[in-house]
Amino acid sequence: MPDVKASAERTPRWAMAVDLDRCTGCQACLVACHAENNVPVAGEKLAGYGRWMHWIIIDRYWEGEFPNVRARFMPVMCQQCGEAPCEPVCPVFATYHNPEGLNAQVYNRCIGTRFCGNACPYKVRTFNWFRPEFPEPLTEQLNPDVTVRSRGIMEKCTFCLQRIRAVEMEARAAGRRPADGEIQPACVQTCPPEALVFGDLNDPESRVSQLARSHRSFRLLDELGAEPAVIYLKGGETNV
Amino acid sequence: MTPRLTRRDFIKVGAGTAVATGLGSAARKILLEPFVRPPEDVLPGQATWYASTCRQCAAGCGIIVRVINGRAKKIEGNPLHPLNRGKLCARGQAGLQVLYNPDRLRNAVRQTGGRGSRTFEPLYWDAALDLLTEKIGALSDPGRLAFLGGLMPDHLYRLASLFCDGLGAPPPVIFDLHSALEGRATADRLSKAFFGSDELPVYDLAHTEVVLSFGANFLETWMSPVAQSRNYGRLRQGPFGGRGLLVQIEPRLSATAASADEWIPVRPGTEAHVALALGRIIVEERLGHVGSHRSYAVLYQDVEVGDMAQASDVSVETLRRLARVFADADHAVAIPGGYLAGHRNGLAGMLAVQALNVLAAQVGREGGVFLSHPAPASALAQTARVDTFDRVGDLIARMRAGEVDVLMVHGANPIFELPAAAGFAEAVSHVPFVVSFNSFVDETAIQADLLLPDHSYLESWGYQVPAPGADRPVVSAQQPVVRPLYDTRATADVLLALASRLGGPAAAALPWVDEVAFLESSLGELVSSSLSAFPADTAGDFWAVWRRSGGWWSEKEIPREPEVTSVVETPLRVVEPTSEGDSGSYPFLLYPYPSVSLSDGRGANLPWLQETPDPMTTVSWGTWVELHPETARSLGVVDDDVVRVVSPFGSLEAPVVVYPGIRPDVVAIPIGQGHVDYGRFAERRGGNPLALVAPVTDPDSGAWAWAATRVRLEATGRRKALARLESLEGAGRESLR
Amino acid sequence: MSETLPTAEAQYDERVLLAKRKDSEINQAVLQPMMQTGRGFWGLVAALSAIVAWGVFAWGYLIYWGIGVTGKNRPVYWTLFITTFVFWIGISHAGTMISAVLRLLKADWRRPITRGAEAMTAFALMMAGLYPLIHLGRVWKFYWMIPYPNNRFMWPNFQSPLMWDLVAISTYLIGSTLYLYLALIPDMAMARDHTDGLRYRLYRMLALGWRGTEAEWHKLHRALGIFSVAIIPIFLSVHSIVSWDFAVTVQPRWHSTIFAPYFVVGAIYSGLAALATILVIVRRGMRLQEFLRSEHFDSLGKIVMVAGMFWTYFWFAGFLVEWYGNEPVIRELIRQEVSGRLAPLFYLQMTANLVPIVLLAFRRIRTTPAALLGATLLVNVGMYTERLLIVIGSLQRNDIPFNWGTYRTTWVEVSIVAMTFAGFVLLYTLFSRVVPYVPVWEIKEGRLRYTMRRIGRLLVPTAAEIE
Repeated sequence: MPDVKASAERTPRWAMAVDLDRCTGCQACLVACHAENNVPVAGEKLAGYGRWMHWIIIDRYWEGEFPNVRARFMPVMCQQCGEAPCEPVCPVFATYHNPEGLNAQVYNRCIGTRFCGNACPYKVRTFNWFRPEFPEPLTEQLNPDVTVRSRGIMEKCTFCLQRIRAVEMEARAAGRRPADGEIQPACVQTCPPEALVFGDLNDPESRVSQLARSHRSFRLLDELGAEPAVIYLKGGETNV
Repeated sequence: MTPRLTRRDFIKVGAGTAVATGLGSAARKILLEPFVRPPEDVLPGQATWYASTCRQCAAGCGIIVRVINGRAKKIEGNPLHPLNRGKLCARGQAGLQVLYNPDRLRNAVRQTGGRGSRTFEPLYWDAALDLLTEKIGALSDPGRLAFLGGLMPDHLYRLASLFCDGLGAPPPVIFDLHSALEGRATADRLSKAFFGSDELPVYDLAHTEVVLSFGANFLETWMSPVAQSRNYGRLRQGPFGGRGLLVQIEPRLSATAASADEWIPVRPGTEAHVALALGRIIVEERLGHVGSHRSYAVLYQDVEVGDMAQASDVSVETLRRLARVFADADHAVAIPGGYLAGHRNGLAGMLAVQALNVLAAQVGREGGVFLSHPAPASALAQTARVDTFDRVGDLIARMRAGEVDVLMVHGANPIFELPAAAGFAEAVSHVPFVVSFNSFVDETAIQADLLLPDHSYLESWGYQVPAPGADRPVVSAQQPVVRPLYDTRATADVLLALASRLGGPAAAALPWVDEVAFLESSLGELVSSSLSAFPADTAGDFWAVWRRSGGWWSEKEIPREPEVTSVVETPLRVVEPTSEGDSGSYPFLLYPYPSVSLSDGRGANLPWLQETPDPMTTVSWGTWVELHPETARSLGVVDDDVVRVVSPFGSLEAPVVVYPGIRPDVVAIPIGQGHVDYGRFAERRGGNPLALVAPVTDPDSGAWAWAATRVRLEATGRRKALARLESLEGAGRESLR
Repeated sequence: MSETLPTAEAQYDERVLLAKRKDSEINQAVLQPMMQTGRGFWGLVAALSAIVAWGVFAWGYLIYWGIGVTGKNRPVYWTLFITTFVFWIGISHAGTMISAVLRLLKADWRRPITRGAEAMTAFALMMAGLYPLIHLGRVWKFYWMIPYPNNRFMWPNFQSPLMWDLVAISTYLIGSTLYLYLALIPDMAMARDHTDGLRYRLYRMLALGWRGTEAEWHKLHRALGIFSVAIIPIFLSVHSIVSWDFAVTVQPRWHSTIFAPYFVVGAIYSGLAALATILVIVRRGMRLQEFLRSEHFDSLGKIVMVAGMFWTYFWFAGFLVEWYGNEPVIRELIRQEVSGRLAPLFYLQMTANLVPIVLLAFRRIRTTPAALLGATLLVNVGMYTERLLIVIGSLQRNDIPFNWGTYRTTWVEVSIVAMTFAGFVLLYTLFSRVVPYVPVWEIKEGRLRYTMRRIGRLLVPTAAEIE
């Protein structure tokens, strides 16, 4: 008899911790994401009209007035909500909740109502306004593990699902579970100050779980109750 | 129960099959020959990772490249590499688009319609080499050959030096804007003067408690940003608890200052005054716990704290507070940044900052200042070193005087990177024959007669001694991760071929058959090194390990403690900053700064980097002018209004970004755009602020004082919307509460 | 249109006149304008067709290049298409309101205007139904929203308000078309009996062999009675569901419980106003003065006014609570409307929605076609603006100020919106030439309820219950 309860407990809940104290706003995550996920480049005209395609952006907030002015960075990507506002509104199940708690976007199924984009309070979904262009031979850079999206469909951060799957399959073949930190989305992998941490929230020992319990942790627009899987850690204050 | 198949069974079955298929009589082994034979190391659909070294800036981070079906798909940091430990910046990530850029030069060409005509005629490499050999052979005096290099890998620098040396030509002149903006030449001079070392200092950010950064944008482009960012992460949320303090002292709130705990908007060019005042206060008030202040008192004998506060626009209270914080910390470090080197008092200023580390006894101490390791083998010792602006000026003067007959340019784009007023473009017209090795047709290559494109760095061999280095001796390996896409040729091979064609001393100086032979011989000394993290018995083993792990480095951490020279016994000078243009008609000081994504402009042809928003303004694809809100108001302009910035040397028009984090007397413009040539993504986009900058130098170091030009502003009445990520209506607020 | 409708005295005479008319005269009065098609008519048809053709080209252009040729961006993912969709759905509410509700209430003045109202419902729904297709990123996959059996067990998501929309709108379209058609059958038979040639064959087909027997009339009345009752919940649900397209999200301003009734009331307000506008125009264009009299405009004007009052009440109830709640984003949205960039639209909306209520309080205005036309047109300008503010105005703002956006329209969007307006008018115009615009049998039936009795010197119409 397989232990049903144990296997249910083992279902991961993928989550990401973003340490705002470490983030330097360097944009390495953004370019890494473009490279990993075949995210197209919009060009000046479209980017200037709110039609850029980044799956992760770094919000910059000003505080105070000169000379006591401060700026803070906040990377925002799909929050992979537990109670995702984008999911129920899709008429064709193109956006749905997968068993590991991720908000999956099925590109092939999307018909482009953009309802999910309106429903998302974080506004992290981007739409393919036109056919993406990759002038030859830039097509050679495309990652074969990730679909190149056509025009007229929604896309967004997937937590690099292809990387999660690759490690999971490897681990399953070896008869083990993915180790903490073994799965690294492209942004996490490259982040120079190591501000991003990815892991399983259902594993209380994982680094992301530990960070989620930190007194610095908070979630973006928590009051909306979307239960995001991205945990932000407040920037600290040094007392001197 | 897998049935076991013995060899006997196999032969029986095999023979039976052979007979059954009618091949019995011809009992020979015949291989099927497909029309296309796939390379052996390529498994269709399987990713292979190759280690190499990033060449997007001078830092030399280790990379690994994911290759599928012979095509590079993704660049990541090499997790083993001691410098960056698997991390990589935006520019490093975008390296694929150098390789796959649609505007790359694909073969050797001659510009037949005259310089700037853009009519190119393809050339066989043999013919190209013949032509070049003939031109060099025809030189009346080898001194009439000049080699101008930009961001050159170390091995190529050594080859080019040997080549020039063998011919009897002057050594290569190395200039690149990125290095000028990070003050590399001045930092070299400082290191020499202060520590008597040829290597740059390394600041131990990871283990320190207080960082005073004087204009060092070490989280963006300065020196080794990935390694520094990684250490910054540990400064903030270190494994040992505690949270370091970072104070950024500079006139504009850079992205690094945005990460700092405190930003001190100092008057430009007087950053060092703050350092001097801090030193004076520490000595005077006997702060800290070192107890030997008397010996350093002499350093600050000419410093008056009140004057310094007055000059730098930083209050005495702030100075006292900072002095106390710095002196009281167990581990504290002061960093002399690249912005200091952009002033005419650059070297003096950087000396004053470095002196703080001596004063607080942080030299060679955990959390303080260390030195980079020199190359661990004598053959590698000749590493690329940027020249000061003075030497570039000499070259321009020689060219203008008609003393240069053949100019070879590799990796440099002086027509874009030098101030327009330096006159390189005009000087190049006096040179009868110009050869460019650049992969792209940029502003300088368009002035070349012969274009011999080098491979992109992902198709090239090489090695790199990172400077500043890591916590241990490192030589980073560069190897082709894909077969060259086009009919380009490694410049190292071109130089070797040239040498052998020319014969004589040049051939004797470059005896290697090709680039790889040269590399193998250069690396020979490392094979027997006992320090190695990857021991190898034979040269063959070493060569394999070197390529597999992406270089050679010591297994253990070996901190190198600097020794302070006698320079720290003479009083520090207070040098007031001077600037070009009188303050009456040019009321603002221009602050050109390197873009985080485009660097000095070399990233402008990569669409990923163009689309990457600037962290502070969130603008992509353009040039803008940052104005203090008060300045904008008095000029009557708002965001996206186009202003004209005029200096005594030129003018530029760009939309305004009202920027809360800049002094009212400073105008900042990012460098990187304004290309005339350089491919479809870069051309005719934004403006190049270097057109405004005066070609003046710091008399102490000879380095270019790129931050010492005054400008005035004129509203044009036009508007141009910048491509911003943020909503202007949102006004940079986090929430509405 | 500067005429003023006859005074009460003269009106009375008109009614008397109608009552005195023979059946054949009425048939002729209704059929006559159908048969006459002047140069002006064909000019109008040509102009409208040109606009529709241009809009179809714009749609093709949109499909070929992608949604990017519209002015949408992040975060304004819905713009003019959805605004106009809501507008047309709103317009479609008048037909049912007039026919079904007033039929059940036995409001006798409805009789001559039911056909026009029902046609308006059907055509407005057709126009509205285009937008869910037009606004799709991949319109060629629209059928994935339809629950058809397939071997992959891929079903649409019935949690999505867009699916509710699909079901409600298609039901409403089918229902209202049938309703229109049912009431048309006796008139088709009448037209059949008075025409020849091509028209005869058309009407014969459409009349379904109607002979006017007692049993047929009985069945027709029963069917209409059932439909009248059945269509009212659909009518209420459709606009409620449209409002839930917005209200189920957490988008500030959209996430409101009052949205459903507010939308329904707004729909009735705009639909009735549009009906009044159309009736004034058709009455003039088809010379139906005899049938569409001041009593109709008077009654219609009154219920438009009442609907407007309801709309004002709901708007105020929503606005007050939002304003009082002082939620930051909503505060910003209200600031934008009251004193910011949206202020011109906001004040246009308020003026155009509130002023007609006051105007329609005056009988003189209700019974002056030109004035009524102006007042009701103003209502629809106001209601369109209201939907613009709700759809686009709200989307431009959200919880994270970094993500705010600004929308600028494009020629493609405007062309496609113009296409549906022109398409509606075109369909309506052609319809009025093919089908008796005034339901003759209903008029006659109404006439039967009156007997003219002479009391003293007055000829007084007296009503009797039929049905």
